[in-house]
Amino acid sequence: MPSTRPLSLSRLFSPPKSSGPPPCSCDAPARPARQSALKQRLSAFNWRGLVLPLAAFALLWLVSALHLVKNGLLVSPVDVARTAVQQIQSGALLRALSASLAREASGFVIGTAGGLLLGAALGFSRIATRVIGPTFDTFKQISLFAWIPLISVWFGPGDMAKVVFLSLAALLPVAAHTCDGIHAVSPRYVEVARAFRYSRLQMARFVILPAALPSIFTGIYLALIYSWLATLGAEYLLVAGSGIGNTLIDGSEQFRMDLMLFGIIVVGITGWALNALARGVERRVLARRSGASRERAAA
Amino acid sequence: MSKAIDQWPAITKRATLDREQASPASEQVQRRVRAIVWHLAPWLLPAALFTLWSIGCARGWIAPQILPPPQQVFDTLYELAISGDLARNTLVSLQRVLVGFGVGTLAGFFIGAALGLSRTVEAYVLPAFNALVQIPVLGWLPFLLLLVGVGEPLKYILIAHAALVPVTLSTMQGVRNTPAALDEVARVFGYSRLQRVVYVVLPAAVPTLATGVRLAFTKAWLALVVVELVASSEGLGYLIVYGRQLFQLDLVMASVVIVGAIGFAINRALDALEARLRRGQPSAFRE
Amino acid sequence: MTTTTVSEGIRIRNVSKRYAQQDEANGTLLVLDDISLDIAQGEFVSVLGASGCGKSTLLRLVAGLDRDFRGNISVDGERVRDTSLERGIVFQDHRLFPWLTASQNILAALRNAPLSTQQKREAVAEHVALVGLEGFEHAYPHQLSGGMAQRVAIARGLVNRPRVLLLDEPFGALDALTRGRLQNELQRIWQHERITMILVTHDVDEAIYLGDRVVTMAPRPGRVKRIAHVGLPRPRERSDARFIRLREQILADFTDRPAPADHGTPGSGLRASVHEPRITEWRLAW
Repeated sequence: MPSTRPLSLSRLFSPPKSSGPPPCSCDAPARPARQSALKQRLSAFNWRGLVLPLAAFALLWLVSALHLVKNGLLVSPVDVARTAVQQIQSGALLRALSASLAREASGFVIGTAGGLLLGAALGFSRIATRVIGPTFDTFKQISLFAWIPLISVWFGPGDMAKVVFLSLAALLPVAAHTCDGIHAVSPRYVEVARAFRYSRLQMARFVILPAALPSIFTGIYLALIYSWLATLGAEYLLVAGSGIGNTLIDGSEQFRMDLMLFGIIVVGITGWALNALARGVERRVLARRSGASRERAAA
Repeated sequence: MSKAIDQWPAITKRATLDREQASPASEQVQRRVRAIVWHLAPWLLPAALFTLWSIGCARGWIAPQILPPPQQVFDTLYELAISGDLARNTLVSLQRVLVGFGVGTLAGFFIGAALGLSRTVEAYVLPAFNALVQIPVLGWLPFLLLLVGVGEPLKYILIAHAALVPVTLSTMQGVRNTPAALDEVARVFGYSRLQRVVYVVLPAAVPTLATGVRLAFTKAWLALVVVELVASSEGLGYLIVYGRQLFQLDLVMASVVIVGAIGFAINRALDALEARLRRGQPSAFRE
Repeated sequence: MTTTTVSEGIRIRNVSKRYAQQDEANGTLLVLDDISLDIAQGEFVSVLGASGCGKSTLLRLVAGLDRDFRGNISVDGERVRDTSLERGIVFQDHRLFPWLTASQNILAALRNAPLSTQQKREAVAEHVALVGLEGFEHAYPHQLSGGMAQRVAIARGLVNRPRVLLLDEPFGALDALTRGRLQNELQRIWQHERITMILVTHDVDEAIYLGDRVVTMAPRPGRVKRIAHVGLPRPRERSDARFIRLREQILADFTDRPAPADHGTPGSGLRASVHEPRITEWRLAW
């Protein structure tokens, strides 16, 4: 809108006001200038997400409190809480969880190490890929749990079989992703390294492995998830020993829904924790190189 | 696309002086032989393992309870096929997985679409869904055992759940990530919301969805095997457990082979289907 | 016993290259046909051509990335058999390693250089300054704009003090403004370092602006069409009449237009020597 006001000294010295859209009655009233940090966090939190869980919780509690269903299976959240406290206090939870996690850790470590070796061998050697690759691919397709009965015969019904199974569960994704990651390294980078006269070893260490690292990490991440799933499965199928899976099976056999719900919650939390751990590590190691940072400088 | 590994010979071999043109005949023969060896290479390892297995059993290095000789496994497979046991159990397993997979995929599709299209639904439902997803299918198994007992519903529910989760997540992602560019084009042509969903959002989401369905089947198959191992009186998994308990390892191995073969075949079919649906976009799916 | 007259610089003699076709049984694609070229020490040569004329292939042969060809390429008397630190190369896509910072990328080129760690660090700092990227040594490639990343690639190509720097359409992926700026940069660097440079490009202006000579290549099969001397002093003006005339002459190679007559007198202005169809001859779609 062209200005028709006469030139005045005040306008000369004051910064020009930007002409925005014309004022309208729909403009929101001016907010207070500052909101405390806490208020901001609270308003950003998704309160609606709590509606469903709270409703389910309340419904469960109501139904059990009013004894609406004459079924020994329906337990109130209070019972679950009580069981939880009891389990934690008696140390049963700690024993079961630590047994499971220890087994998972050893299986994960062994499987990852083996997977890295196998994956690297397959990745770097064309011959190995051609000879071993197809067999490995086929083998990988067989549902993992189908191996448990065989493994239990060959390694006995105890912990040894479980760890073998867990190692297998971890080895497969690590080997597959390591091998794929190495194969997928762009030949462009290899050409650059050739221009620098990199030896084979230098090429592998300074170009191929860093380039394949994201894929390798994905494999390790999957190995963590799969070995956790395998831990549970192994505990169902090879019942000797203790573990959180055994807690669930016990709850099932003893018709104790409260114990089972407790076990399920523990399993859920552990799975989530492992997931978060893996993702955190991945972010720390890989963040620098990816487009995580949006800063762009001018040419 | 040539892989980095194809560049290796260029680096390792010291550059040769310009060689005389090798006589074409010998070079052709060399190339032929190399091609044949290359084609047969994948069979080398299985052949070697098989030979080792046969010899090991024949020489008595391994007890037949631990590892039955190949001939026995073949015989068992043959008997299973003839007696109709194989067909019966396979059908039971296939029926379970297909029904469960179908129901789970369909449900997952609708839930995922709802979550993706409506911010309100997402706000209310997604947190609870995410929390439930943290519990693996196996974690639900004892719970459902208690609730519905050992029977067909148990299998269907578990397999459906296994399929539902990936399908929901990938549908939600596919619907949410409609390229803004396509959305704008739809707006320019004045599409109604329904038209937009049907003609733009859903087709654009198909590739992501295809990957999700592919993953869902793998998980459904896995769930089937587990549930049949733990709590079943029929099906391929049951055959495995049955054989195990009677120490009839030939039965166990035969069943494992069948499970593997069927899984393999269906995976291949789904891969081809996914490739068609993705129309050339590379798949992020990798087990 | 007879000494060769030119042992310095690059000699390309009768270079031919064929690609074997995968679909045809015995058909091969002739990509380069008997290319011969001499490049003097310290010269800047632009190789100009449309897509598919084999100019990038030729550059890769000189770099030693590809050893399958007929003919002879030698640099300073030594035959080109493989890659060498004496021949630096800058690609069109900068190809910086995304997991290294800018200065680490430049350092990566020195891994096999016979220098001490201290000397390497100094060389890196020196070349970062040469391309004008002080302050961005610790930036990762994804944090740099296209122009900056390409500058790092140029520094990386130069840090080994090669005898020749090969540039394969280095500015092709950049916007026009950045391209102009980087062309100036490259010219400044060349005048400072005075190493032999071979630039492959499809941009006529760029070729004339930067090169002492412009080698035009024709496609299918790739062969040298014309070698033009650019006798203009640097820094060159793109609006100089001689520049424009040379441009028209070279462009005429690529179109079916007759080459504009060489009037020889500077400042004679442009002549419209091309027949444009009159507007009445156009046919509109509606």
